Amino acid sequence: MTEMRRRWLIFLGVAFVPALLIVAPIASFLLLSLFRAEKNVIIREITFGNYTGFFGNWTYFGTFLGTVLLCLEVMGVAVLIGYPVAWFIWQQKGSHRYLLLLLAVMPLFMSYIVKLYTLRSMLGLNGLVNQALLGLGILERPSQAFLFNQRAVLITMVVIYLPFVILPIFLALERIPRSLLQASLDLGAGSWDTFRRIVLPLSLPGTIAGALFAFVLALGDFVTPQMVGGTTGFTIGRVIYSQFGLAYNWPFGAAMATILFVTALIGILLAGYSISRQRV
Amino acid sequence: MRSAGDRLPIWITGLVTGLVFILLYLPVFISLLFSIVEIRQGKILWETLSFKHYVTLWSNPSVMGALSNTAIVALISVVVATVLALVLALYTEWEGAIGRRMLELVIYLPFLLPPIVTGLALLVASAELGLNRGLATIVLGHAVFVLAVAYRLVLTRLQALPHSLIEASFDLGAGRFQTLRYVLLPHLASAVMTGAVLALTLSFDETLISTFVAGDQMTLPLRLWAMMRVGFSPEINALVTLVLLVSIILAIIVAWRMKPRGQVEEG
Repeated sequence: MTEMRRRWLIFLGVAFVPALLIVAPIASFLLLSLFRAEKNVIIREITFGNYTGFFGNWTYFGTFLGTVLLCLEVMGVAVLIGYPVAWFIWQQKGSHRYLLLLLAVMPLFMSYIVKLYTLRSMLGLNGLVNQALLGLGILERPSQAFLFNQRAVLITMVVIYLPFVILPIFLALERIPRSLLQASLDLGAGSWDTFRRIVLPLSLPGTIAGALFAFVLALGDFVTPQMVGGTTGFTIGRVIYSQFGLAYNWPFGAAMATILFVTALIGILLAGYSISRQRV
Repeated sequence: MRSAGDRLPIWITGLVTGLVFILLYLPVFISLLFSIVEIRQGKILWETLSFKHYVTLWSNPSVMGALSNTAIVALISVVVATVLALVLALYTEWEGAIGRRMLELVIYLPFLLPPIVTGLALLVASAELGLNRGLATIVLGHAVFVLAVAYRLVLTRLQALPHSLIEASFDLGAGRFQTLRYVLLPHLASAVMTGAVLALTLSFDETLISTFVAGDQMTLPLRLWAMMRVGFSPEINALVTLVLLVSIILAIIVAWRMKPRGQVEEG
């Protein structure tokens, strides 16, 4: 047996399991998106009707674009809040720094559904947000403005996906050698110049990667819009989910999921590219 | 050493950090509070303090059933994912995999993709294969989901091991299997364990993939979700508090195991 053949055999033996459990399922729904459903029966003829139906119908395509826009907003707000937090933690020393990092990352391990539940109760009519604003005299009556609309989806997603942004930014900051900062300060640059010319550019790849991860996760989220979005907070995830439930059109749902998959994959590959461009 | 102007960024970012932490952790305390006391018109009625809702949970068969499902799923999927991660990491690192980047992308995909994609993929695949949805499909879903973290942790440790260790083992006459058994595995054991606990934490909370592949089975997060649709109750808050507590404990164990020893004090 030649060396090459041996290597291929081992490869097939090892790669078989991920191929079966990950690649095959994804391939199966890509294929399903090319079929069509008639009266709840899937007809196995290749057609692009689901895709033309999606792009031709503003209800669906508009929802998709709206979702992308919403997730870009989530990403932007999360970075604007997450960067200062990561920077602050990075400035700390010793075990103090590690403890703060732990506190920032721990929500990643807390149940998603639990966070949704508690945030929903905070944003509601009798929730903490309203109580606090009433107490401060900013509002006269409890406001409905914080729940069951697009804004509620935005706020909730930012809180849920914030730790996903803080961690990569912190890791990028931590990679910056102290010597670079000292050199910059020794050469007479002020702390603002050092930040702008050294810290920010060097941490940018990690920041972009973190932002993209948050974007990708928010993109497919179908429970947050359902729990806090009410009737106006419709996202593509929710539409896809309904195709596999009430609407019961699996091929069409699979086509929309394929478009989501491709968008997410582009985001993931861009994040990977951004990380590989890290120079420190 | 620093002037007042230099301290300003620290204060501002410190304030932001403080607010963010309040935002992230307030829910935990609120559910804890709601689970043990009654609150009416914004006032805490301390005289109603009791743990009766926790006791009720204990005798709620649907919650206990979901709990046992969650435990079964977590244990099996973590074992499956860990073994798979170990094999894959050994392969990519020591054999120099064919198409390594591609293989790694596939391993990471279920973790990075929106869960709706992974969930749907498994749903469609199991329907095509005529598999009944239930505990087995949940186990598969969780196994592919947590594979990425288990793989990453083992691989990082493997990359840190000096090659000379393996060469020494071969020079001393050990075969491949003996090297694996007596040299590699002992060095990898702690990374494997950390990966397993991390995977357990993720599996315990996994909701979005599960909802597609669960069929009529319930895991704890799914049960919780179903209870929440009905409304708010102190019993839900008790369950929420317990779930958060378990997650936090598991996260602290992971953090403690991953703590970078000896390099914390640099700088």
